[in-house]
Amino acid sequence: MIVSDSMNRLVADQEGWTRKMFEAAIQMRKEYGPENIYDFSLGNPDIEPPHELRKKLIDTICDPALGTHRYMQNNGYEEVRDEIAAYLSERTGLPFRSRHVFMSIGCAGAINILFKSMLNQGDEVILPNPFFWEFKNYVENFGGIPKFVETQDDFQLDIGAIEEAITDKTKVLLLNSPNNPTGAVYTKESLEQVAALLYKERKKGREIYLVADEAYRKIIYGEEPLPELFNIYDLVISATSHSKDLALPGERIGYLAISPNIPEVDLLVSGLMIAIRALGFVNAPALFQRVVAEFQRNSVSVADYQKKRDILYGTLMEAGFECVKPMGAFYMFPKSPLPDEVDFVFRMQQEERILVVPGRGFGRKGYFRIAYCVPMETIRKALPGFLRAGKHYIGR
Amino acid sequence: MVISNRISRLMENSSWIRAMFEEGERLKKAYGAENVFDFTLGNPITEPPKELKKEICDLLSRETSGMHRYMSNSGYEEVREQIAAFHRENSRLPFTGSHIIMTVGSAGAINVTLKALLDPGDEVIVLSPFFVEFMFYIENHGGVMKLVETREDFHIDVDAVEKAITERTKAIILNSPNNPTGVVYHEKEIRELAAILEKKRGEGQRIFIISDEAYRKIVYDNVTLPDAFNLYADTVAVFSHSKDLGLAGERIGYIAVSPRIDDQGLIDAMIFANRILGFINAPALMQRLVGRYQKNSVDVADYRQRRNAIYSILVEAGFNVKLPEGTFYIFPKSPIVDDVELIRVMLEHRILAVPGVGFGRKGYFRIAYCVEMDVIEKSRQAFLEVGALFR
Repeated sequence: MIVSDSMNRLVADQEGWTRKMFEAAIQMRKEYGPENIYDFSLGNPDIEPPHELRKKLIDTICDPALGTHRYMQNNGYEEVRDEIAAYLSERTGLPFRSRHVFMSIGCAGAINILFKSMLNQGDEVILPNPFFWEFKNYVENFGGIPKFVETQDDFQLDIGAIEEAITDKTKVLLLNSPNNPTGAVYTKESLEQVAALLYKERKKGREIYLVADEAYRKIIYGEEPLPELFNIYDLVISATSHSKDLALPGERIGYLAISPNIPEVDLLVSGLMIAIRALGFVNAPALFQRVVAEFQRNSVSVADYQKKRDILYGTLMEAGFECVKPMGAFYMFPKSPLPDEVDFVFRMQQEERILVVPGRGFGRKGYFRIAYCVPMETIRKALPGFLRAGKHYIGR
Repeated sequence: MVISNRISRLMENSSWIRAMFEEGERLKKAYGAENVFDFTLGNPITEPPKELKKEICDLLSRETSGMHRYMSNSGYEEVREQIAAFHRENSRLPFTGSHIIMTVGSAGAINVTLKALLDPGDEVIVLSPFFVEFMFYIENHGGVMKLVETREDFHIDVDAVEKAITERTKAIILNSPNNPTGVVYHEKEIRELAAILEKKRGEGQRIFIISDEAYRKIVYDNVTLPDAFNLYADTVAVFSHSKDLGLAGERIGYIAVSPRIDDQGLIDAMIFANRILGFINAPALMQRLVGRYQKNSVDVADYRQRRNAIYSILVEAGFNVKLPEGTFYIFPKSPIVDDVELIRVMLEHRILAVPGVGFGRKGYFRIAYCVEMDVIEKSRQAFLEVGALFR
């Protein structure tokens, strides 16, 4: 066998249903035409980058200075990091400087270089469940051990469960809020309880870092702003990407923000400098570093997403689905009316031409994920299907 | 401690790089950057071709939607088709888009390849002197690097490779044109190597050649790069557009899996690895551009001029040095055994270069001559002074 056993195990881990679903979807697109398939399976937003960003991109590229596309320092352009640090300081009131910002190949790249720098073989990373499946791979890439902790019924953090999961090997608690796949936004109170817990653990000699995946931070629907983790706990490193807020997912641009309250920041940055080289990223793409710097305060039109959420959520309720109302991101995570959610997902595919993802792809059986970052028209056309499914499987 | 023990060890091992870097910075402050001759970085001076610059501008000026979104993890189909067509023409093998995976540079490409191939403890042969990142890449995925010294002229010592093969050997990395030596491997030596690997295949062991061709377009005089795909069936080649299209900072490259490898599983595993290692996909905009520029090259004449200039200076200064056939590196012998000491002495003469020990070969040093011509000319006096010290 050519492919390594370790790799084969990883592939086999999800082979079954993903492959089958994927192939069925391709078949259906051929049969019915792509416009008659309602695809809610991908977190690939249908929006475009802001107009001013496109203009900036054109200006940068059409009149480039010499050396625009060359290598730079592994952590990115100093002036770009400066500009982002200024934004972070303004946001948090903390003294962020360029050295606290590390440009990366998207959020995924950011978390990988961070784990490479931080994790020893056997170190544990606590992951609230349900979770974005790739986190498990990112932890295991470097010999870390993912420790899954169930969230509460409303997908908020279960502090007691987190406390029970902490051991001497715990190095990181990974939080993803707004959350993929549930759309939950962790409350300020719950995060303060987490901080209190981690400070208590520190007294026992356990130094636990909060790593925040904030890829969806700008997509929130409540009145309250997203609680500022940097102001709640000291050992915080956040990973961000511009995939969602500036609609640049294919360009792979993001960064790590390291709290100025972390005493060993220089040591961590030196580690990251080696990790980003060693893993083959080398640096974040040059052109897009320059482009995103001045758009830190920009956002997508949250109102559009909120409208989509409201319509879809309303219909799910009408159809009788059980679902926690999402407060952020562009996902919702209803309960499956059938005990085997893979069966339900297949039926939705076959009977209603609606593509969604089984909950087990996020560590939680019996649920399914809807990604509603699709055109409004797709949502409208799919609504009758959700209603019929409700009638049929829930029986109203 | 915030950082892992492994990273901490890597940092200690490379602490001399930092020390050197800091000394260089000090010198630049003291004497002015233009009076310090910095030959340490392989940061190509090439600018992207004019047509490419124009095309990227046109592309962005048109109103197109969806051009910055995710695409398939292997990259845009039409781009992979264009690249496949280039390799079909080059090698006369039936490449299709499915044999191409777009990657975050060749560094990303090698990581993806190794992640797909290696189980913990599997061995990868690397020919020394070598690009030290190869060691990182192999260890990332639990592999074990087996170094095999090249011959005096830096060409492949085929017997030594054969002796280094064990039942855990999974791959051999060839980097030609070579960093740091500038050597281009001949067809004959690759054929001899292939014969050994084919013998192993007959015995039931498949060993892959991973051909790192990041510098493939920078070859001089009448040297031609042999086509690896035709010399050995189990070949995976990795390419980057850092050097030929001057796009180093944009991180764009690709993997070409030989059509003679009859295993879709390998390609699937690589695409999967691209995802789980956090690359996800190669940057979208650059993918669209490079497809059409496969036949493009850098103006090798610029590099040749620099190679000739630095070579003459080194010879004049009395260094024992081989004329490089490719890349923008030259790897002279140090007149004293302790190459780190030589580097220290050169620093006093405001020359910055990298000791051979950084490439696994004591007693040599590397000069990256991808610098302005002016820097090379002005460094002559300094090299002559250093040379005179060891006469």
